[in-house]
Amino acid sequence: MKDESARLGFRLTLPAQVLVLFISVFPLLMQAYISLTDWSPLSGQSWPQAWQFWNSFANYSDLLGDGRLWAALGRTAFVMAVCVPIEFMLGLGLATLFMDDFKGKRVFYSILIMPMMVVPAVAGYMFFMLFQSGGPVNDILAMFTGSPVTIAWLSDPNLALVAVMVADIWQWTPLMFLILLAGLVGVPEDQVRAATLLGANPLQRFTSIVLPRMKTIIGIALAIRVIECFKIFDTLFIMTGGGPGVATETISVYIYKIATQDLIWGYVAAIALAILIVLSVVCVWALKRMARVRA
Amino acid sequence: MSMIRLEHLVKRFGAFTALKTMDLTIADGEFVALLGPSGCGKSTTMNMIAGMETPSEGRILFGDRDMAGVPMGRRGVGFVFQNYAIFTHMTVRQNLSYGLRATRRPSDEVVRRTNAMAELLQLTPMLDRPAAGLSVNILQRVAIGRSAIMEPAIFLLDEPLSNVDAAFRAVMRTELKGLQRSFKQTMVYVTHDQLEAMTMADRIAVMDHGVLQQVGTPLQIYNDPANLFVARFIGSPGMNLLHGRPTEVAGSMAIDLGALGYSLPLAPEQAAAARKANGDVVFGFRPEQAARVSEGQGMAMPISFVERIGARTILHLGDGAASAKTVFENDAGFEMGRALHFAPHPSAVRLFDAASGAALRGQ
Repeated sequence: MKDESARLGFRLTLPAQVLVLFISVFPLLMQAYISLTDWSPLSGQSWPQAWQFWNSFANYSDLLGDGRLWAALGRTAFVMAVCVPIEFMLGLGLATLFMDDFKGKRVFYSILIMPMMVVPAVAGYMFFMLFQSGGPVNDILAMFTGSPVTIAWLSDPNLALVAVMVADIWQWTPLMFLILLAGLVGVPEDQVRAATLLGANPLQRFTSIVLPRMKTIIGIALAIRVIECFKIFDTLFIMTGGGPGVATETISVYIYKIATQDLIWGYVAAIALAILIVLSVVCVWALKRMARVRA
Repeated sequence: MSMIRLEHLVKRFGAFTALKTMDLTIADGEFVALLGPSGCGKSTTMNMIAGMETPSEGRILFGDRDMAGVPMGRRGVGFVFQNYAIFTHMTVRQNLSYGLRATRRPSDEVVRRTNAMAELLQLTPMLDRPAAGLSVNILQRVAIGRSAIMEPAIFLLDEPLSNVDAAFRAVMRTELKGLQRSFKQTMVYVTHDQLEAMTMADRIAVMDHGVLQQVGTPLQIYNDPANLFVARFIGSPGMNLLHGRPTEVAGSMAIDLGALGYSLPLAPEQAAAARKANGDVVFGFRPEQAARVSEGQGMAMPISFVERIGARTILHLGDGAASAKTVFENDAGFEMGRALHFAPHPSAVRLFDAASGAALRGQ
């Protein structure tokens, strides 16, 4: 009887399972297969024949010694380590401000979340224009210094990364703000009042009542931004194309370049798979930790 | 020092006036209940005492000190919220010691006072349990202990029993009253439940529509309501109120209950009150203070419903013209539809001005 219903259940969910198999499991297996070969689309063979170029784990051992890959990873981590905390602090500050009532709150709210709605490619183009050496950013700086400023933001290897991070912070602070505001609204007002009546100052109230209540939502906000930031590509690619040289080459840009220019797809697959595995392990660890904190 | 004085207190929210005017003095160590239906302004009054709301007009004084501009954290007020507002992400111990830790007391003092408070409230066994998931009665004790540990001179309780089921409320009433005796603080207790107010308070302040109706001891309020609202609101069932006209027959005052076709003679004190009446009066008496009389004396009304609640029997009397309720100790074969002959004890009669609703008093 139970067996019967289980079989019926299996048959009913079969189409959905096949679909999932095709959209997630199949590409993953294909990628794993190709990552173990030297196959390239220029080799004259279609991908199922990639076994002819079998090189075992050579791609993976190459990957460990690939300086450009490690540099790109380091750069990505740097962008993440700078942007996410700044976005978090700005978002939290703004969200705290928006808990109070003030004139024009709705208007400011709309303006504030607008950057999030801009297509990243368009945002990239906007910042490309802003950071030109004759662009508005330099014009504004000139107003403060009193003399013309001609900083070559996007072609200076050090400044290009700064410009890219400014664009990222501009575009993604609103998301932090929105998520954290939702979290703040969910903090019971009576508890904050009770703490006030017991003599807690604003900072104590924030650290002992508000923050612990927002732990989960802060975890979610940070996780979303860390994952997204790791994949940073579109805005950056339009602003600098990963340049000058490799100055703003993040992991996504690097993969894009070797996939479209060098066409060594076996190696690309190996990198992508390695990153996927590392990221998954980190995510599972973080989620488990979060679940434990909540319990 | 912990006397509370409210002087001409007014609170408006935009166009809505929550509290029209309030003058009340609460003595040091007194337990005062603010009693009234929802929306009467009792919670607003309480929030202003705590400093959560700013009065639109008037003053709040603790002793001789004007509280205007004193933030809520510095008023030395303990507040128990209706939902207790327990910090559910902390343990019971962390909840109890929160105030002491926030005000940076030495850690040995924190430990000593927390343990003492836990002992007093019988919370010692669950001190290190997380506060989330504790039962309501424990949560309430935690909420009280968390405020009491700061030794506030004034304790404010906002309907602390409204989330508790009826059977448990009786237990908590006794417990709360006992706690007040041991803390000896000035307590203000907001409630819409007259039973809570009657059983616990030294004095009750009855409020309605943002106006203080009467302040007095529970028995004063029960026996001598200041107006028709208090007469109706206090008591379960409330006071019987019948329209009548004072008449003087051969030097003795009586009330002519026109619709019922009876005249009831009055005791001297009530007669004096009736002489002051300016036109029609409302004739009131408590349902418990009526006795059965033989036919031809007193009032007669048909019994429309018999409500038996165990120890007592409540009779709903009357037809369209007038109605009343009486309460008897035992069920002496009351039958629906039969006429009941009854009369209030003469000393239990209270008279109110029909136009203004205010009580008429002899002296």
